[in-house]
Amino acid sequence: MATPVLWACFVVLAAGVVAYAQRHSQQDTHVLYERLGSDVTLPCGTAAWDTAVTWRVNGTDLEAAHLNGSQLVLEGLDLSHSGHYACYQGSSWHLRYQALLHVGMPPREPVLTCRSNSYPKGFYCSWHLPAPTFIPNTFNVTVLHGSRLLGCEKDPAPKNRCHIRYTHLFSTVKYKVTLTVTNALGHNSTAITFDEFTIVKPDPPENVVARPVPSSPRRLEVTWQTPSSWPDPESFPLKFFLRYRPLILDQWQHVELSDGTTHTITDAYAGKEYIIQVAAKDNEIGTWSDWSVAAHATPWTEEPRYLTTEAQAPETTTTTTTSFVPPPTTKICDPGEVGDGVGSPTGLLLTVTVTVTVTVTTIAATGLFI
Amino acid sequence: MLACLCTVLWHLPAVPALNRTGDPGPGPSIQKTYDLTRYLEHQLRSLAGTYLNYLGPPFNEPDFNPPRLSAEALPSATVDFNVWRSLNDHLRLAQNYQAYSHLLCYLRGLDRHAATAELRRSLAHFCTSLQGLLGSIAGVMAALGYPLPPQGAEPSWAPRPPHSDFLQKMDDFWLLKELQTWLWRSAKDFNRLKKKMQPSAAAVTLRLEAAASDL
Repeated sequence: MATPVLWACFVVLAAGVVAYAQRHSQQDTHVLYERLGSDVTLPCGTAAWDTAVTWRVNGTDLEAAHLNGSQLVLEGLDLSHSGHYACYQGSSWHLRYQALLHVGMPPREPVLTCRSNSYPKGFYCSWHLPAPTFIPNTFNVTVLHGSRLLGCEKDPAPKNRCHIRYTHLFSTVKYKVTLTVTNALGHNSTAITFDEFTIVKPDPPENVVARPVPSSPRRLEVTWQTPSSWPDPESFPLKFFLRYRPLILDQWQHVELSDGTTHTITDAYAGKEYIIQVAAKDNEIGTWSDWSVAAHATPWTEEPRYLTTEAQAPETTTTTTTSFVPPPTTKICDPGEVGDGVGSPTGLLLTVTVTVTVTVTTIAATGLFI
Repeated sequence: MLACLCTVLWHLPAVPALNRTGDPGPGPSIQKTYDLTRYLEHQLRSLAGTYLNYLGPPFNEPDFNPPRLSAEALPSATVDFNVWRSLNDHLRLAQNYQAYSHLLCYLRGLDRHAATAELRRSLAHFCTSLQGLLGSIAGVMAALGYPLPPQGAEPSWAPRPPHSDFLQKMDDFWLLKELQTWLWRSAKDFNRLKKKMQPSAAAVTLRLEAAASDL
């Protein structure tokens, strides 16, 4: 019984939906990309030129000054013009047109670099645009090895990088990498050509640690690890370059090491804090890596020997010797003399002795010795 | 005549350069061979620069990337990574030896039509060094008890028919390119052999006190 009623309801609803859709099909949001600095005229849909309309930008009304009849004129576009534009006709606010305007630039020639930090596994290429376009760009990379086209696997992140695997080693044929960048306003491209071995540059050594050497006031032991991105240090060994200087000086000292991941500095200034960095390079080909994260260390210094008696008198003289030798006493501590009442001068001398020692060790601790 | 010359050269490196008593093993001679490849690489850099300038553009342009045409004759250093890695010592040495034998042969042909006296001198000097490298490799093979590659084998190269001037220059270009690549590969080959023979390598320490920290 209720079925015909339901059907009627359904038909009415369908008709309403169709009518609504028909009405708004002319008001699908247009997406526009326009060049920075250019002029653009937006029509109010199919409305006649002399129709009374109201334009809104991001929900705010626009003054009539920008209008040419029912059309909106925007001159000298800048980034602030980007937004949602809508045109309403008459007092009924009938939406006739809407658009999303994106103001941007066509891409300039991109900057492309390729590097192999994982030789001989492969290399990666990364790129960037010298100036922003303000609109979405798509990048396409092609790699030619002689006449063979290779695939460049895009990284999920960062997204301006892709990887190529080496199929053969020791190739005489160059690689040519072409990058094309495209957006709604134009496109541009760049290409670089290189030999396999010229782009080899390892990552910096990892885990650079510098430690003082016990009982050696002029030594520092430095250890590091080959970068984890270098896949085969056995077959493709790295050599290292170490530089170090005390923090207070500007001049670096350098050591080149053809093997091993450890080195002992033997000419450090005693008591000075040092900054140490290491770089890596394939033994025969390519270029040096960037400098590693700096390690800091101070060479071992002798522990100051503290006396157990407490200091009472204020600090008196200062000396520059590291080890303190108490001055010879003129008074001999003769047990026979104690009873004479001569004990107190001796006691005073002892107090003075303690004070000077404390002063000396304070100087040593601040590292003023050179 | 050139074929005759090449056959003569083919037999020359057969005589091992070493005749030592109290042989400390192949280690030092591998090191010597490695050092020679580095030295030759350095020599080739200046030689190639001069020769390519003599050939003129486009050969001396850095981006020059021509397709490989009649290059089957030249011994190619290109190899699949896993194949290269798993080469046994004998094969590794033999491949190097054969490659340089061929390359030396071609190089002497290059000498023939090099224009300036200075260029001819540089080429002759390089050929002599390359000859030394061959002798060094032969010495290593002898020390390890490996036989030298068969002498009877005819080099795959045959007297070239008269080429156009441009094609001749292309051949010269690829010869130098192949030499460069082989020297770079040899360094890796001998480094690998060195590691196998000498497990504890001495660290070479060079102390440089530089005012600037640039590399």
